[in-house]
Amino acid sequence: MRCWICAILFFPVSLAVCQPRFTCGDATVAFGNSEGTLSFLFTHGWRPGKNEKFEVGIGLRFTSYLGQNQYYITAPANLTSGATGPQVIFKENIPENIDSLLINWPQINALNLAIHLGYQINSRFTVGFTIDALGFSFGKSTSARYINGAFGQTTSAKPTAFNFLLVSDNDLGSLNSELFAKYYWNERWGIKAGAQFLFTEYTTQTEVQQVPEPNDRFRDKSLLIALAITRSF
Amino acid sequence: MKNLVVLFICLMLISCEVEEATPTTPVGDTFMTDKATLVRSGTIMGVNHTVSGTATLYELNGEYTLVLDPFQSQNGPDLKVYFSKDVGANNFLRLGNLKSTTGKQSYPIPDSAMQTDYPYFHVWCEQFSVEFARAELK
Repeated sequence: MRCWICAILFFPVSLAVCQPRFTCGDATVAFGNSEGTLSFLFTHGWRPGKNEKFEVGIGLRFTSYLGQNQYYITAPANLTSGATGPQVIFKENIPENIDSLLINWPQINALNLAIHLGYQINSRFTVGFTIDALGFSFGKSTSARYINGAFGQTTSAKPTAFNFLLVSDNDLGSLNSELFAKYYWNERWGIKAGAQFLFTEYTTQTEVQQVPEPNDRFRDKSLLIALAITRSF
Repeated sequence: MKNLVVLFICLMLISCEVEEATPTTPVGDTFMTDKATLVRSGTIMGVNHTVSGTATLYELNGEYTLVLDPFQSQNGPDLKVYFSKDVGANNFLRLGNLKSTTGKQSYPIPDSAMQTDYPYFHVWCEQFSVEFARAELK
């Protein structure tokens, strides 16, 4: 974890000598099945290398998520995959360890540091990927229904406060990521379209899940269609 | 900015999944009540909705079944059948989707559930967390 924090903090410093730089801001709406997000991303980056095609950058992203009738499932990787290392990305879920938390109107706001990677195809067209790395979430505590097979109980849950990118189900909190294509119609303004993959996470008031071990963290993974306007500064 | 928020709300509304209503075709489950032992029974009362009927818990060969007969309910989305320990259904047993808004219907109860006392029956709309009907089984 310490290595990750160092990498995030010194990432821009190590690239500061590179030219040219770019700065842009995006306002994005994304929508899926009974859910959607409104997000704002401010990115500062560099185009290192001779051909100045590749982009790396760091940004700050605010994401506001709103859903309806969403089922959150057991979050910790040691329960979903039976492991906690990077290998969880290749592991199948263990269905008997996974319980659900039904939230009728989930609403989570997250402010995260984001990493930007891109490739400038030409002066007007860029493709790339952004992913949240570290931040915090906030939102109202809400009533939820915990469901374990045929059994259930009413509880309350609030957004998990701390967000941290690890690998797959090891992630903590609410993290946004986007795969996008961006087109500038003039020097300043452009449009962006792509796919948004979002993790949102709630923590229940008590450890409602008891088997195979106590758990209070529940996650929803959403794949959304994203559209944005973007401005270069 | 204002336009962006309006666009977001519009997209949210467009993307909202239309939850299917409960089937209205009358069901006629063939649970043989005359061969089973009546354990508990209660009159179903609508809770801000029009629902009526009788909920009865039967035991047959060591297995428990909830039978709704007669039964008539106002329609709604995502209606589930619950048993619960308390009147507010805070601690509940989920027996599945309501099969139909009308007709005799039976719901088998998991063996493990009968170790706990669930005296209340509910018709519950999960999508909106709204109780449609309730009965206390005595």
